[in-house]
Amino acid sequence: MTEPRNPGMSSVPQINPAHTESSSPAVEMDPVEYTLRKRLPRKLPKRRNDVYVNMKTDFRAQLARCQKLLEGGGHREICVHGLGLAINRAINIALQLQASSQGALQLAANTSTVELVDDLEPEDPDEAGEPMTRTRNNSAIHIKVFYPDPQ
Amino acid sequence: MFTGCGVVSGQNQHLTNNAVKSQPGLEVNKPIQFENGTNQGTNPVFQGQTYTNSVMHPEVFNSVSNLQKPAPLPVSPPAIKLGQDGFKKVCRTEEESPCPFPGLPSGVLEMRVKEGSKIRNLMGFAMARMQGEKAGSGGGADSAGLRQVVFTGSGRAVTKTITCAEIMKRKVGCLHQLTKLRYKVMKEVWESNQGGTSEMTVHRTVPSISILLSKDPLDPREPGYQPPEAFSALWEDREGAEPAAQTCKRPLGSLPHSGFSHPKKPCLGRGSFSASSSLTS
Repeated sequence: MTEPRNPGMSSVPQINPAHTESSSPAVEMDPVEYTLRKRLPRKLPKRRNDVYVNMKTDFRAQLARCQKLLEGGGHREICVHGLGLAINRAINIALQLQASSQGALQLAANTSTVELVDDLEPEDPDEAGEPMTRTRNNSAIHIKVFYPDPQ
Repeated sequence: MFTGCGVVSGQNQHLTNNAVKSQPGLEVNKPIQFENGTNQGTNPVFQGQTYTNSVMHPEVFNSVSNLQKPAPLPVSPPAIKLGQDGFKKVCRTEEESPCPFPGLPSGVLEMRVKEGSKIRNLMGFAMARMQGEKAGSGGGADSAGLRQVVFTGSGRAVTKTITCAEIMKRKVGCLHQLTKLRYKVMKEVWESNQGGTSEMTVHRTVPSISILLSKDPLDPREPGYQPPEAFSALWEDREGAEPAAQTCKRPLGSLPHSGFSHPKKPCLGRGSFSASSSLTS
């Protein structure tokens, strides 16, 4: 997966601002950190063994792509990333890969926190509410699926 | 739906075939289509619970749980489509525990994160243990967490487990982390809505995660090891060049700004700067 944009992580869910300061503000999903995060996959796909899992694409398709990378692509290891709700799917894909390899593959999981920034803009331009930003933290997982080195 | 299935053994299909012959009817045809659709070459161990909105798919009828004979099976076909028809009534879920954390720790605090757990409560308890023990030089009089704590969760609670671990790492710095993934088999018992005689035991495999946080250094060669908060430095390094692959497995794989030790403001500043530069490039 070499798409520079939309690394394939689960889309940022809509948030519902509770405060009524800007009356019925439209939730504008333009997170600053999101752009930064998009830089990362541009580097990683250089090696082409990174797979970002999302909830939109069919599960089987993502699993098939991982398998193709491992078997056909000749990569000794791939890294499966998942953010938020896609963590479950990423774990499932990794475990499935391990199961279908009859135990030849090993998993190594790392977790991290990703900051997501939401920009809130008032829906009604006449309203005096100023655009606000809100920062959220989200969990992410990075699972390395690899053939262990023969030692 | 293919993704909605659990493990379907061969015997299962035979059983339902017999059921079909004995009881013709529309309802019974359902499992056939469903089973045929799912019974492909490999034996997938997907977790329907996670990916479809329907709650559960009782699909696996192990020979162990032979509570029902083929006769009640005609009742179960609608149940296969899920508990919404006919099996709504009672679902007592029991969990099979394969084995605890695949390793070493002897006297550690084990936090079991469930789907409905409140993070506030979990963290309050865990932090009290971890930070309380810190003063006590880890002398093991207390049976609780001393220097290590394990967060375990399965199914829908996996994300919450990871979040708890991340929060603890942020509050208690310099924790070594070891993450293990495996499947966990859960046993659920469903009863029929009409005619409470037929019971079904469903074995469902769900992905589960166990995160060990330790103040003591762990073995870096262990798969799933993550050193304490080296992310910010590594993130800067990898902007220039890929840091050498350490013995530990890709701590740099973490995404930017885990924000452990530095406040958010500089993160955002850097972020926006980099964003603008990336847009222009």
